[in-house]
Amino acid sequence: MMHLACIPNLVGGHLGGWRHRDAFDRPVMNLEAFIEMSQIAERGKFDCVFLADGNGVRDMDRPALFAANHPSARPSFFEPTTLLSAVSMVTRHIGLVATATSTYDEPWMVARRFASMDHISKGRAGWNLVTASNAGDALNFGRSEHMGREDRYARAQEFYEVVAALWDSWADDAFPQDKTSGQYLDPTRVRPIEHSGPHFTVKGPLNISRTPQGRPIVFMAGQSAPGVELAARYADALFGAGTTKQDCIDAYADLKGRMARYGRSPHALKILPGVSVFTGRTAAEAEDLYQELQSLISPALGVHYLSKMLVHDLETLPLDGPLPFADLAEETLGGSSLRRYIIDMARRDGLTLRETYQRTLPALGGPVFKGSPTQVADEMEDWWRSKAGDGFTIMAPVQPRGLSDFVDLVVPELQRRSIFRKEYETTTLRGHLGLPAPPSRWHAAPAKPEAGAA
Amino acid sequence: MVEMAQIAERGQFDMMFLADGNGVRQMDKPALFAANSPSDRPAVFEPVTLFAALAQHTTRLGLVATATTTYEEPFSIARKFASLDHLSSGRAGWNLVTTQYVEDAKNFGRDEHMGRVERYERAQESLDVVRALWDSWATDAFPQDKATGRYLDPDRVRLTNHRGTHFAVKGPLNVARTPQGQPVVFMAGQSDAGKELAAYGGEGLFGTASSKAQAQKEYADIKGRMPKYGRPPDALKILPALSVFVGRTRAEADALYEELQGLIAPSLAVSYLSKLVGFDLTDAPLDGPMPASPGESVGGTAIGRSVLEMAAREGLSVRGTYERLLPSMGGNMVKGDPVEVADMMEDWYTSKACDGFMLSMPVQPRSLRDFVDLVVPELQRRGLRPPAYRGATLRENMGLPLPADPFLP
Repeated sequence: MMHLACIPNLVGGHLGGWRHRDAFDRPVMNLEAFIEMSQIAERGKFDCVFLADGNGVRDMDRPALFAANHPSARPSFFEPTTLLSAVSMVTRHIGLVATATSTYDEPWMVARRFASMDHISKGRAGWNLVTASNAGDALNFGRSEHMGREDRYARAQEFYEVVAALWDSWADDAFPQDKTSGQYLDPTRVRPIEHSGPHFTVKGPLNISRTPQGRPIVFMAGQSAPGVELAARYADALFGAGTTKQDCIDAYADLKGRMARYGRSPHALKILPGVSVFTGRTAAEAEDLYQELQSLISPALGVHYLSKMLVHDLETLPLDGPLPFADLAEETLGGSSLRRYIIDMARRDGLTLRETYQRTLPALGGPVFKGSPTQVADEMEDWWRSKAGDGFTIMAPVQPRGLSDFVDLVVPELQRRSIFRKEYETTTLRGHLGLPAPPSRWHAAPAKPEAGAA
Repeated sequence: MVEMAQIAERGQFDMMFLADGNGVRQMDKPALFAANSPSDRPAVFEPVTLFAALAQHTTRLGLVATATTTYEEPFSIARKFASLDHLSSGRAGWNLVTTQYVEDAKNFGRDEHMGRVERYERAQESLDVVRALWDSWATDAFPQDKATGRYLDPDRVRLTNHRGTHFAVKGPLNVARTPQGQPVVFMAGQSDAGKELAAYGGEGLFGTASSKAQAQKEYADIKGRMPKYGRPPDALKILPALSVFVGRTRAEADALYEELQGLIAPSLAVSYLSKLVGFDLTDAPLDGPMPASPGESVGGTAIGRSVLEMAAREGLSVRGTYERLLPSMGGNMVKGDPVEVADMMEDWYTSKACDGFMLSMPVQPRSLRDFVDLVVPELQRRGLRPPAYRGATLRENMGLPLPADPFLP
């Protein structure tokens, strides 16, 4: 079966999406709208909703881009574990995945928030572990320099290990809560973790009992070499960011191939590439939506946003001239594989500056599935059967229309083909994803990674 | 927890309050740990996530959660409480604490616990930074105008640019100005530094006075410190802890009290008393005198000190001390029929011993329900509590002023 996550951001995945007449009118801090999105996704039997996050207002150091007003800078956003705790009260099945960074948070705090959310949601919590890659966030945590990638991933690995150990603090049966005998807890069924490493020293145990899922589900999104290695070792699911089907097939084979050395089955990790879906009742309707949205991106926003994606100021260049390829050659700290992809695409296809942003911005450089419900389902099935992913993370350009169209038009087609569930069969995110029960030190010893594995 | 919140809301409580800590207590003292005191909080929800969930089941009840300035970053504190204030439509409160438990330090890579002076300096700076972050955006900073494409107004946000002794935070916060302007800030410190910080920036204070005279003294002391910060005494509400044993009759209240005393094993009682006073009493004879403190510990609390003073003053044994203390965890207690309970509360309130109370209840949910059904109507009859919620936000219900939007003239 295919797995589906969705990104329920209220402003849509398209930079002009929030301005569309069918978009939410007041997306800023709108809890009711998030609830509506989550309920639509649950109606569509999605495995989970997935909330990206950061710890800073982006682009304030680029006044022109900031003034050009793109909500994807996330200037105002709920703290995701509090938002999803609220959403868990008005949903019953859908998984709830929130982002937290290993770069500026403490392992104790992350272990606790997500364990708490797993109890509150009765087994539907997921943690998307990111190493914050936005340099500006550092300045909100007393650091003037952003950590380099190697440091961030070394810290992330140790961070994960501490969090997992904290989640294993208590045995499943540690709290008898027996009124008659007065035995509230069993002191032999808890242990400190006594972790001492280069980045963290944490004694434990966690002050939360073992959670309904054993451990919350761990998502990652890293596309760099250390990110992929960390995912192979520890992740339960991966938010993929391949830009083409072949990219995704290569990344899928690479990541799954790395898991054996950590004693893990390839099925123990689900890869869900992000895709933007433009659909309608007909292909023409989908195309109309696409074109309509293009017109809602002003050239100022287009150029400023592309400048940001390419980590290079393009403001003074002619809209209908080429990109400055010579100046774009050097690598940047915090830059992504997406940057390289956009530059290569523009050079290969001989695109102007305007054409480059028009091609890039509708999906922020990611893959686009556009067409009738059958066409979209064809493409999804093809990618899925080609092992480009175990499913998808669906981004829709205009919300809530994009998600509800997907649920009403594409999901039934996937169900008709028997490649997606018709009903939820379990009540936990771990169950939806078909993931094995997590190891626990209170049960048999988990498989040990090979010595020397990075 | 949902049931408790709904009972409290039915009783028109201003707020529900969650204490918190970042560690499992007493694991270094196996005998005490094994004696099974749930109040060591071995397994509790993280309070802000819990309240985000409870906000979906309530509409008026304030939600006050604890977060420590000792181990948390101001940016993270500002964000989660701003988020909760939006999620609850203006019912969030932050109980600012400085962590005094040495064991919690070990969960954050610190072997040594911070001393009190440093903790309070850090707390004050953290409070300043959190409030500056909450003031990042003007109320009208997000026009969200589809026609013009104007999502935000770049002139209606400002950087925090804080550089201090403990923190450097650039800002702005990535959360719009909240329904209350700023969530309500509570404190609980009883030390001199704690009182000073409350006078400086607290809007609610949880007291621990165990007698009316002591409560009056503290009330006058703290309110008297406020003018030098340019604050009217009304801008801070003092709510001493009060354990209530109530029944339809005095006999019913007495019966509950005695029944509960019978459920405390001496081993648990001694463990609890040990925790209160901050040192291990396991080896002390039950009917011998209360031992003196082995010395001033970094984590010693105001409650612990007042317990030891009381035991010494009255010549109590270990058993005598815990029998006196445990029913109310060392705090103030009232026992009786609804009129007697209301009399005591009215007396304190009209004698300027407090602005209200922080109720703790011996048996849940029974005791909270009894209070709501029996005592609240009596308080309302006397005009001491409003007949219904006065407003939609915690600020309105507490009678606290709305913080000014710094972008408005």
